[in-house]
Amino acid sequence: MNCYETMFVVQPTLTEEENKAQVQKIMDVITNQGAEIVATKDMGIRRLAYEVKKHKRGHYTVVLFKGQGNSILEIERNFRINEDIIKFLTVRYTNTVEVAQFNKMVADFAPKEEVAKEEPQAPEVEATETQEA
Amino acid sequence: MAEKRKFKKRFCKYCETKVDYIDYKDLQQLKHSLSERFKIMPRRLTGNCKRHQDMVTISIKRARQTALIPYIVDRKNVVESPFELIR
Repeated sequence: MNCYETMFVVQPTLTEEENKAQVQKIMDVITNQGAEIVATKDMGIRRLAYEVKKHKRGHYTVVLFKGQGNSILEIERNFRINEDIIKFLTVRYTNTVEVAQFNKMVADFAPKEEVAKEEPQAPEVEATETQEA
Repeated sequence: MAEKRKFKKRFCKYCETKVDYIDYKDLQQLKHSLSERFKIMPRRLTGNCKRHQDMVTISIKRARQTALIPYIVDRKNVVESPFELIR
């Protein structure tokens, strides 16, 4: 199991709920790959340094997770398919210094970690709802 | 007789603050090694040590990929106060 960090940028034109749905979708993909989400951080809407697909702003989200290397391929494939995601970057943390940084970031995001712990339960409820519908 | 060089001894700012890892999301740390046109400053001008320069280079390139900082600032893409982008 490796430590990974994924940052992705969602279109700014979506409403907050739609954005949450997009983030949830990605989280589902990550968890379905057998990876364990450690922490998430919502960086909010920021100005992009350059235009991406004609957008000047973007909604940034960071997800820290632990998983197998081959799961990244599937996660990134989903990023590419999704038209609402305009940018993404996955970084692996391997050596001791990097893992220390990874743990530090997990600690930094800690107040959100509690939210993240609750969230994995939430998607299950949502998923069942959609199946019923 | 070799004259004594009169250069000011430069110190690596990252070493002074004992930074172990430079995160690409932490733009305040990257700022020090960027020129006003967002080019990566050479080691001879910033005084960074090799270890930290390598780290900073990687982080800056990652930050560029995620549109946190621009690749170039040219005449077509003039920013009035470039460092306002970074906050």
